[in-house]
Amino acid sequence: MSAVSPLQKGEITEIVGGLSSGRTSLLLAALATATRQGGVAALVDAEDSFDVASAQRAGVDLRRVLWVRCARCYRAAVTVTDLLVHCPGFAVVALDLGQGAVRIPAALAFRLRLAARRAAVAVLIGARERTVGSTASLAIRAAQHALEWSGPGPVTTRLSRLGTELEILRARGLACPERLELARLVWWNA
Amino acid sequence: MKQFAVVWVPFFAAAVEERCEPRLRDSPLAVVTGAPPAARVADANAAAREHGVAPGMTETEARARCASLVTRPVSAERVRSARCTLLEAAHAVSPRVEDVAPGLVDVDASGLDRLVGDARQVGEELARRARLVGFTATVGVARTRAVARVAARLGHRVSVVAPGEEASFLAGVRLAVLDFPEDLRATLAEWGVRTAGELAALPRDALAARLGAPGLDAHDVVLGIDGAPFRPWSPPPFYQEAQGLDWEVDRLDALVPVLRDLLGRLCARLEGGDVHADALTVQLALTGRRVDDRQIVLAAPIRDAALMLALAKLDLEARPPGAAVTGIAVSVHVVHARVVTGGLWDAPAPASRDLASVLARVAALVGPDAVGAAAPIDTHRPDAFVLVPFAPPDGGADDHGGEPTLALRRLRPPRGIAVETTPDGRPARIGWDASAAPGARSSRVVRCAGPWRHSGEWWDVGAWAHDEWDAALPDGIVCRLVHDRVTDRWVVEGIYD
Repeated sequence: MSAVSPLQKGEITEIVGGLSSGRTSLLLAALATATRQGGVAALVDAEDSFDVASAQRAGVDLRRVLWVRCARCYRAAVTVTDLLVHCPGFAVVALDLGQGAVRIPAALAFRLRLAARRAAVAVLIGARERTVGSTASLAIRAAQHALEWSGPGPVTTRLSRLGTELEILRARGLACPERLELARLVWWNA
Repeated sequence: MKQFAVVWVPFFAAAVEERCEPRLRDSPLAVVTGAPPAARVADANAAAREHGVAPGMTETEARARCASLVTRPVSAERVRSARCTLLEAAHAVSPRVEDVAPGLVDVDASGLDRLVGDARQVGEELARRARLVGFTATVGVARTRAVARVAARLGHRVSVVAPGEEASFLAGVRLAVLDFPEDLRATLAEWGVRTAGELAALPRDALAARLGAPGLDAHDVVLGIDGAPFRPWSPPPFYQEAQGLDWEVDRLDALVPVLRDLLGRLCARLEGGDVHADALTVQLALTGRRVDDRQIVLAAPIRDAALMLALAKLDLEARPPGAAVTGIAVSVHVVHARVVTGGLWDAPAPASRDLASVLARVAALVGPDAVGAAAPIDTHRPDAFVLVPFAPPDGGADDHGGEPTLALRRLRPPRGIAVETTPDGRPARIGWDASAAPGARSSRVVRCAGPWRHSGEWWDVGAWAHDEWDAALPDGIVCRLVHDRVTDRWVVEGIYD
């Protein structure tokens, strides 16, 4: 990937993609980066799908992550995200909408962006489709690229790697040649 | 003239258990700490010590020495509570008491002759008060605390050392009775020093040169000199403000001004005592003689009345009392908050005040049990964790390492499925349950890997055994299937993403 990082302080970043695209792995990697740098993060988990073991393996400092479990109440998840973004001190506020078909109203999206800028917090929204429109300064689409299986004999015993292809859909303030850049990431299954 | 009394409850941890279960007084009792097989004796009563049970030995060895030994696990909470009870009992006799150690209380008995009586009567009253709260204590009364402690250790219910007789009293006391460190006791025994009088006769300079500070402390004890100043103990303050209402109130907006006044007064007291509150309790007296108790745990210690009022309002809005209110009492649990300055290079964290407020609002939306930090449990059972109150650590981050890891999106609860397997037991087709989307009743497994066998707690009723399979479906989804070998059920545990 280029110098574009999903952690844009003071901005909203969207990571979209279907199931098994690598979207959640990218979200965890961003949380790990934030907590490794000593920051405090919040994860608003709309579908209560956060896996503690995966987060630990990714290097997330769980003590520095506030986990809010919303039990598929998407409206509450968006409201909670708004509350957390308005609280100064968080380095990252991540909203994981899962497979929910959620469209955040434009007024609320602009309010989120303004609050993110004031509090200098990076807002990450992971969803199936884009939710905040033009208020996101960076939008990335993740798609499954490759699967790799492994095992000691002819019969595979484990999924070893999943490859993700990232496409930048929108990047405000970047030069045009980078707009359609593709990048590939590989996630290891421990 | 100065006069001190010392109340001593020997083998205090064991005495605490005997206080809770009086029938244990006649049995050899040991209080153990740790988990088997590494459990060790923390304390033992006199009956157990007669059989050779001593603190520090393993429970196995203790039972080998005393077949009829009764054991109880040490409870720090019970010891703390009992220690406070003993102090309060002594405080009922004299306003100046000192908390020296668990089971050891110094009492300033000066000036009690008009209230209680002479030295022996003071001692008897202290022993009686201790007995009333469940302790069998011995009391020593003397002109100094050091002499009174020695007197208390003689084993008589009340021992009084008259003024001017301290030296003659101490001269004959055996060093084995006194609470000296083991190595000091051994050294003195090697020198042939067996009594307090013999130790008191030794030159102080030479004792300091050979034994150092512990030797000087021991010398002070046998000379009857009080080394440390008397530090009075006072009962923990109780921060509560209450108000009855002239008429029944059944609207929140009418309760708010009353709450505001109460919390304002309470926070002023907290300010005066230089303490903070980490939990707020609101007790509402309702019509029909009912009481509504609600506790609000604060994310960080505060003494901000406006913030407490906001949190109390949120709680009342989320859980209305259900009847008209006739009285309100608010109390807090106080802590001494320490001021922590962040490091120059540390990333900023949310301020305690802001964090407390936002956590309360979030908890009001999603429920208090759905907010916190995940703490994994030390077990191989999948998805084992607890949600603990969110309290980010101070200072810089520890490097937890980490590599690009494939994440699993958990299904909570795991979704039950029906699985068709190949002759060699590998999943071939997944049948979704009735709540699946139309047209998605079953899916062919394109490729699968496994089984990865997990099991645990085989020694317990919660024994479990799983076979995990990674399965790729035609639409590109890769999921983790789990076959529970105990119940023979198949579930989808999560989806790799």
